[in-house]
Amino acid sequence: MIGLRMPIASGLFAAATLLVGLHGAQAQNQITIGAVVPSSGPFAEWGRANTVTLKMLEKQVNDAGGINGAKLKLVILDDGAKPAQAANALRKLAGDDKVLAVAGPLTSSACEVTFPVANQMEVVTTSQASSKPGVAKANRPWAFRNTIDEGILAKTSVPYFKKTFGVKSVAVIYDAKDAVSTSIATKIMPAVFKADGIAVSNENDLISFNTGDLDVSAQVTKLKSLNPDGVVIGADYSQAITVIREMKRQGLVKPVIGGTPLISSAILKAAPEIPVIAPATFYATMKGPKAEKFVAELWPLLKKESGLPPEIEPSMYDANIYEIVSMYIDAVKKTGITGKPDQLAAERVKLRDYMAKLKGYEGLGGSIHFSEDGDAIKSFFIVQGEKGAWSTKVTACSTEGGC
Amino acid sequence: MSTYYAGLFADVGILLLGALSVYIILATGQLSLGNAGFMGVGAYLASYLTVELHWPVTPALIAAAVAAAAIGVIVGFPALRLKGIYLAMATLGFGEMVRSFFLVFEPTGGSGGYRGMPHVSLGYIWLWAGGILVLVLVLERSRLWLEMRAIHDDETAAGLIGLNTTATKIGAFGFGAAVAAICGGLFAHHYVYIEPGNFGFERSIDFVLAVILGGSTVGAGALIGALLLVLLPEWLRFLVDWRLAAFGVLLILVLLTRRQGILDRALIARLTFRRRAAA
Amino acid sequence: MLLQQLVNGLTLGAVYTLIALSFSLVMGILSILNLAIGELFMLGGYLGFALIAAHVPLPIALVAGMAGAALIGIVIEKIAYQPLRDAPLITPMLSTLGFSIILQNVVTNVWGSDPLQLPPELFDTRLPLGPISVGMMQLVVIAVAVVLVASVAFLLQKTSAGRALRAVAENRDVARLLGVSAGRVTMLAFAISGALAGAAGVLISLHYAAITPYIGVDTGLKAIAVMVIGGTTRVWGALLAGPLIGIAEVLTIAYGGSQARDLVVYGLMILILLLRPQGLLGGARTDIGQRV
Repeated sequence: MIGLRMPIASGLFAAATLLVGLHGAQAQNQITIGAVVPSSGPFAEWGRANTVTLKMLEKQVNDAGGINGAKLKLVILDDGAKPAQAANALRKLAGDDKVLAVAGPLTSSACEVTFPVANQMEVVTTSQASSKPGVAKANRPWAFRNTIDEGILAKTSVPYFKKTFGVKSVAVIYDAKDAVSTSIATKIMPAVFKADGIAVSNENDLISFNTGDLDVSAQVTKLKSLNPDGVVIGADYSQAITVIREMKRQGLVKPVIGGTPLISSAILKAAPEIPVIAPATFYATMKGPKAEKFVAELWPLLKKESGLPPEIEPSMYDANIYEIVSMYIDAVKKTGITGKPDQLAAERVKLRDYMAKLKGYEGLGGSIHFSEDGDAIKSFFIVQGEKGAWSTKVTACSTEGGC
Repeated sequence: MSTYYAGLFADVGILLLGALSVYIILATGQLSLGNAGFMGVGAYLASYLTVELHWPVTPALIAAAVAAAAIGVIVGFPALRLKGIYLAMATLGFGEMVRSFFLVFEPTGGSGGYRGMPHVSLGYIWLWAGGILVLVLVLERSRLWLEMRAIHDDETAAGLIGLNTTATKIGAFGFGAAVAAICGGLFAHHYVYIEPGNFGFERSIDFVLAVILGGSTVGAGALIGALLLVLLPEWLRFLVDWRLAAFGVLLILVLLTRRQGILDRALIARLTFRRRAAA
Repeated sequence: MLLQQLVNGLTLGAVYTLIALSFSLVMGILSILNLAIGELFMLGGYLGFALIAAHVPLPIALVAGMAGAALIGIVIEKIAYQPLRDAPLITPMLSTLGFSIILQNVVTNVWGSDPLQLPPELFDTRLPLGPISVGMMQLVVIAVAVVLVASVAFLLQKTSAGRALRAVAENRDVARLLGVSAGRVTMLAFAISGALAGAAGVLISLHYAAITPYIGVDTGLKAIAVMVIGGTTRVWGALLAGPLIGIAEVLTIAYGGSQARDLVVYGLMILILLLRPQGLLGGARTDIGQRV
């Protein structure tokens, strides 16, 4: 239904601006920021929730009088989680819509092809979710990610996992079709576990399945036969749900550990008696004044959205994209970006330098800055999902010496 | 032209080559649902040559095309035993096998993908796409093409009148595979990143779709089909959440109203006649 | 472990059997690939899910899922196949693809893209059987698959509708001369095919207890391989090929080759196509493969 509502709304908006123009009023300065989110396809829910988040932010900023008197305009494009569409969406935003900077795309595959375009067109592009190692690093200086490299996160999550569950051996199962999952499960986790003195039972025969598999019973039977104390799942949450449900069905009730792709409210319902350990930078029930305010504002809007299921919650990626655009707005305020078309190229450089030199920006869960690789240095939590809820067990920072 | 449309036209050029690769094979009455496999071979091989061995792009593309043509011929031989939809399903299996292969093949990154290729310009892509399109259009006026169509229409009769159906069919597979490989090579050097998921069944189907929508009886149809498949999803953006469903509806409508594809000989004749009349 | 793996393989095989048979009914009679079958399967799953979650008993949910998918199957036949029946075989194949795109989009908009999960209280109960354990749903899946295949075989062999179907499969023109209404027959084929895919959907969504709008894509492709291996001319072929592929998959995973699984399945399919194009159980048939 919003398919019909939105064009009408934007049409009215366009008509309104046109009228203002006709009345001869001085054309107000405008800051245009773009976003690429997957509102169709397999990650539609995330993209649609991201869209609601961004529209909320846009309204908040403009209701409060805009940025330095200029109006904020967000142009949000859907990439269907398809890399080619993401790259073209960035070309449209940077070339046609003349945006100052872009938030997105969500998947690492899309980032891989979109970040080179960001460098080519010289526009800051910051992903809200990609955590595949090295994607921003390969595309300096215009690519950023408001996420933490999975390799850093595992160094905190694994010791907690070991201590809490007295784990002496783990077995690995992963989604071989997905790049992030593969790197978490085949490279990052086994190395960290071994360094911590924990045996990986199937080190030479990691068990895999493919995205879209409906049946993982054979894999789980094999997992069970290894009799591990804990299970490493390298998969995004929707595939991990299939694995955890099968574990429950086969009576393999052992704690699970994975990377950030596991974080979601849906995974908590898969098997409440199986504890899930994962790193997160945000989750809907987290504490802290900024985060709680964000959740309180966003949640009702998400529930109202017709393209989203009723049990939707604000996600980590909503928080990340909110932070990204807030950072851009902060840059505009602090560096005196005007949004004038003739200064676009220079102001894009200003914004890039602001992002690179960012110090102590207050995000929803603590301060944020970026490493030389373009990845966020921010605090994160090791959270434990059990009996239907996440709770923070460890708070840490993605760099030595605190955030 | 805006960078946005430049990006879209690069996609059109790449899809045009993929569509032509299907069109050439289809001209002999063989439907391939596995051309993304040839495309994948071309993409990975050309990228390996430019990244690891520092070859310039053009020789890398040619080498990839030759290698894929060889694979095409090898696939073409057993394919002779199969006809129609059974051949289509065998090629589908071939495509899925290639994809699964690159998923586990570590030297080119497996599921982690492969990057580091030099970027090619829109002009360069269209030099290849346009060149091969012209080549196909010229071929369409040759005796060889008549023989291919004859095999398409009635293979037994074509054999009876002394046409070498085996050589023609296998040659078509080899040529189609080479074109698909160039398509893959250009894709890799346009996006400067590839992963096995790029070369799945969905891609193969896109190629076939471009041919059938555009018009499967004339080479220029592939161009119309490629334009439509790239631009339509972009133009439907205003439908937001219903974009893909609308695309599906339009797809069915086009097939229902023009089952021979948008472009056919009759339409071309009418268009050119009108233009002549106007002049 | 081997025994347990065989049970896993048989369950997966039963699902493959149903979807493969669904493909095979349309394929054997009309020689077209209905690319929307994966989505009919997915739709059946969502319908079954919605009903079970509303505490409708399983048999009724199963029938409703079958009916829903059969209905959409008929719509596909009327819109995507019937007007294009004289066109080359690729054209109706692509118009069914259009339906598959639409169904995915509609289901995403209605139920969301996140996996729908059955509440734990409706979860499967397990029966310990010596060293292994078998889920109630696993038994139901296998039993329903066998019953449905048997019913389809009965329908094709013993009823007049079945005879008409076989006559059209053999030779459409001759069948029409003999007074068979080819239009009604193709509609019947699409309806039964849809019902089978829908049944498979209901069964798996309850067995695996989680479902997404994209579940039909890869399962559909696998089922095509199963159909080819079983052959399209004999109904029982699917019942042999489904478990065969299911067990082949499970064993490749069990013995160290989870990465090679798809290579094995599609390799097997190509091998069968080259050595026995009529499939494992297919009889001799001269006109295999119409022109495209």
